[in-house]
Amino acid sequence: MKIIIAGAGEVGVHLARLLADQSQDIILVDRDKARLKYAEAHTDVIVVRGDATSVSIMEEVGVKNCDLLIAATDSEATNITIAILGKKLGANKTIARIANTELIHNYEKLDLKSLGIDSLISPEKLASEEIAFLVKQSAFTDAFQFEKGKLNLIGIHLGDTAPIIDKTIREAADLNPHLNFMAVALHRKGETIIPKGDTKILRGDDCYFIAQQEGINRVLNLTGNQSIPFKNVMVLGGSKIGIKTCQSLCKDYNIKLIEQDREKAFELADQLENVLVIHGDARDVELLEEENIEQMGVFIAVTGNSETNIMSCLVAKAHGVRKTIALVENMEYIHLSKTVGIDVFLNKKLIAASSIFQYVRKGNVISSTMLRGINAEIYDYEVKARSRITKKPLRDLKFPKKAVVGGAVRNGETLITMGDFQAQPGDKLIVFCLPESVRKVEAFFK
Amino acid sequence: MLNWGIIINVLGLLSAINGIFMLFCVPVAYSYDEAGVDSFLYSALICFVLGGFLLLLTKDHKKELKKREGYLIVTLGWLMLAFTGTLPFVISGVIPNFTDAFFETISGYTTTGATILTDIEVLPHSILFWRSITHWIGGMGIIVLTIAILPLLGIGGMQLFAAESPGPSADKMHPRIKETAKRLWAIYVFLTLIETILLIGGGMTVFDAVNHAMSTISTGGFSTKNASVAFYDSEYIHWIITLFMFIAGINFTMTYFALKGNFNKLLKNEEFKFYSLAAIGSGLFVSIIVWLVNGQPLEQSFREGFFMVVAIGTSTGFVTADYTLWSPLVVVIFFWLMFMGASAGSTSGGVKVVRHLIILKNSLLELKKLIHPSAIIPVKLNKKAVPEEIVFNVLSFILIYLLIFIFGAVVMASMGLDFKTAIGASIACIGNIGPGIGNVGPMDNYSEIPMLGKWFLSFLMLLGRLELFTVLILLTPFFWRKN
Repeated sequence: MKIIIAGAGEVGVHLARLLADQSQDIILVDRDKARLKYAEAHTDVIVVRGDATSVSIMEEVGVKNCDLLIAATDSEATNITIAILGKKLGANKTIARIANTELIHNYEKLDLKSLGIDSLISPEKLASEEIAFLVKQSAFTDAFQFEKGKLNLIGIHLGDTAPIIDKTIREAADLNPHLNFMAVALHRKGETIIPKGDTKILRGDDCYFIAQQEGINRVLNLTGNQSIPFKNVMVLGGSKIGIKTCQSLCKDYNIKLIEQDREKAFELADQLENVLVIHGDARDVELLEEENIEQMGVFIAVTGNSETNIMSCLVAKAHGVRKTIALVENMEYIHLSKTVGIDVFLNKKLIAASSIFQYVRKGNVISSTMLRGINAEIYDYEVKARSRITKKPLRDLKFPKKAVVGGAVRNGETLITMGDFQAQPGDKLIVFCLPESVRKVEAFFK
Repeated sequence: MLNWGIIINVLGLLSAINGIFMLFCVPVAYSYDEAGVDSFLYSALICFVLGGFLLLLTKDHKKELKKREGYLIVTLGWLMLAFTGTLPFVISGVIPNFTDAFFETISGYTTTGATILTDIEVLPHSILFWRSITHWIGGMGIIVLTIAILPLLGIGGMQLFAAESPGPSADKMHPRIKETAKRLWAIYVFLTLIETILLIGGGMTVFDAVNHAMSTISTGGFSTKNASVAFYDSEYIHWIITLFMFIAGINFTMTYFALKGNFNKLLKNEEFKFYSLAAIGSGLFVSIIVWLVNGQPLEQSFREGFFMVVAIGTSTGFVTADYTLWSPLVVVIFFWLMFMGASAGSTSGGVKVVRHLIILKNSLLELKKLIHPSAIIPVKLNKKAVPEEIVFNVLSFILIYLLIFIFGAVVMASMGLDFKTAIGASIACIGNIGPGIGNVGPMDNYSEIPMLGKWFLSFLMLLGRLELFTVLILLTPFFWRKN
């Protein structure tokens, strides 16, 4: 597949790296020499220097026969222009990264498809959706839904009193007579482990489970967590993400939004219903105390400054807030969240890249998901007739060690897949795997 | 340096327009075979000569209108109207005393409806018609009319418009101010016509119907009968007038949307909701008390109760019953209603409902702010935040309003009026209501007020009609400073 990515910013480069790892042919176009140099050094792509809104440049890079054109520069207007021009010049599909989510909501009305924009991606919208989901699933550090929530992937931090500490996976399975969940990955000291029957669960691990709806509470019990109901949420920063987060949470929670700029705060108070807007400096601990930070169920820091976000989340933690979410700009920090003691680090560019990545990987893969906290991917495969996976039960297949089939959907029913499971054509399987095993796993589904 | 050229030019124009309105009374005088024909012709002639002279004098004025000229034009324009408007009263000899004539005229233009005449039924029809016309011009405002029909106030027109129109902020219903003014006048004329037709249908003579319609829609209160609306022994007429007084108290922009079929906009408007609720609530309360305590028949209690509540609340001042004779509790409610006023952007006087809403909401939010000192909690109206400068403007408006009311009462008391009459006259004039309490109650008039008091009350009426700031700014030293 030939893919042209316009814009070698963080989204573009990260996306290029993800796609290149999947052996796609990537051409990265940008005007900035330094950024291109960086991209060339770190990824397996062709870089072309030039303006992606220029017709001659686009023809030069072969937009005519490309399968996908991704406009991912920092400017919304530029991205829309690139997508429209690219389509007219012959690109098969186009994706534009935008900031104004009104365009997404009015996609049909504006008939953007006929203009040449096949898909719109808004990092801010995706990030706020992710935050809203994490708030609603407050016990989890990571969560992903399949089949409208009938099957869930949940990441969870083990509490000190968790009953499954120091037990092997097999022993833990004995605590689970109903077979409605299973552990699919462990995250220990910065390393991701696909557990086998004799792997021991240790204190301080983060566990990833696939669970049916009914199994979620049992998972919470076994990991020493409870879902404690809470009503209060504090949001730091009236950025686009902050606003969208407030809008999606304000019906169910009491929200306090702290914004530094007075004029902006007034506008926010005008715009947002049922949200108490506070004017003040996010780094002012006294202000946070005055606004009862210790009574918050979740603390979300989404100002434009990563350091402020991280520090204020630490302040929130110190005041006993159970869950803290920080927006960070630097992708390299993402994996550090557990180390510094903040529950979730979000990077909107990473989220956007993952989202575009999912779009690209469509095929026999229904969807794929990147997980924030760990270095693993989830794939959602549809089983084809005569593929290798259907031949034997799972335990007799030589399925890659660094991958695990976690759940299946058969005729609308969900199953947790143990060793005796045998796939049938038409099933949808959820596979959890480390990046190096992706191709080996794919072979089973061909 | 103030651009006096344009100010005097506009004053000349207003004088001429007033002359045209006087000519409207000539056919009335003629058809009733009255002696008034001459007096109106002379009055109009004086207006034309004066106006023409001022226009000629400033033929080459600079067409530049700044803030100061704007405020001066509006205030002086209204004074020009009031002074030229006295001519028919004086020349016809109906009101020989100039002070009385001025009081009657400005009470007409400001749609107050306070009168110094003790027997109006003996007056010529043409003079009665002239009184109604002064109401009608003043209700929607002469500046708005000038903007609607003449091109000259194009630039700076919005400021003039805002200075004259009631309410904390003037909204446009069309991008162009001229079109907005045209639509306002169109609705105004339309409502007046409909009410006239309905009143004729209820058995009024055509002459009385026209006069009462003009007086209702402008929320003025001059009647053609000594007993005001109580003269008509018709439940239908009472209810029609109640209804139209209520409509005249709705923001004309909202009426415009409703007439265009967009009722949703009207029903979602918070000021309208609060206004309706207050009218119905007070109406019910008063009616029930009158029915139970004063022992009036049920139907009459409700008819008179609602009529008087709407008449006072919208600052019209028509009368079907003497509320000062009802129970003291009811009198207190009427006193409170005098401070209410109807909607902003209507023809009514008073403080206006929207200001009460803003100040109420703001006061409640102040309490909330005690707990969250750094919180930004804007006052919201129709789900939109009210800009802080408007909130401050409203706060100072209400404060100044109350101070002037107290000051007015003190001045009136110093002239020998008793307590009730003093506060009644003060609020009835600054609120452009007409009937007050005490010796200026609904069954009395202002003829007994001393001469100086009449001038002072005239000033209060103008203050109230132009909503304080437009007039008061002229009394400040910084207005006249050169920089």
